[in-house]
Amino acid sequence: MKNRLKVLRAERNWTQAELANALEVSRQTVNAIETGKFDPSLQLAFRASRLFGMRIEEIFHDEDHSNLATEVR
Amino acid sequence: MNQAKPKDTGYQSRTFKSLGRLAFWAGAWLAATALMKFGPRLLWNKDVLLTLLAVCVNVCVGIGLILAQKRYISELDELQKKIYLDALAITVGVAVIVAIPYSVLHTYAVISFQADVSHLLELMSLTFLVSFFYGSVRYR
Repeated sequence: MKNRLKVLRAERNWTQAELANALEVSRQTVNAIETGKFDPSLQLAFRASRLFGMRIEEIFHDEDHSNLATEVR
Repeated sequence: MNQAKPKDTGYQSRTFKSLGRLAFWAGAWLAATALMKFGPRLLWNKDVLLTLLAVCVNVCVGIGLILAQKRYISELDELQKKIYLDALAITVGVAVIVAIPYSVLHTYAVISFQADVSHLLELMSLTFLVSFFYGSVRYR
């Protein structure tokens, strides 16, 4: 799963530690999500969505689903 | 773009406090175990009542350690929980797989030295540390 967490964080000039604290996770978890090593739970995705004031699909998107959509087109 | 800092949820201090609580109970259990193991021989000349008391203290502190660990795990975030539980799963698996052949080797006197439960505890500690370190590095 891909995400725009790093871009959104950079736009707000937040550090990973600040974002981690706001999402109530460790800095390691934020880093792992940003680098695509770990996919967050739905609950954490909702928390990120609320924090950034965006819909979940504007932050996270499924690579397989994107490929499928391209194939269908 | 709004550059206001996100509000502090106190997550870091909460997990730090939880880790401190776990460290306290681990230290207390270690002390209680040392007292139970060496006390009868070195401190109270194998007095049965005092030995029973030391065993009771050890069990009570052990229960405290289990509860502290349970609380610590529940306060971890989802990635930390995954790393921790993966390490625990590997540790339990290794312990079961090694303990039975080890017991057989001892029963049929294939090994010359005395098989002791502490060997298993050492193996479990080492396995947990390696697994936890591997998990942490993997998601760094």
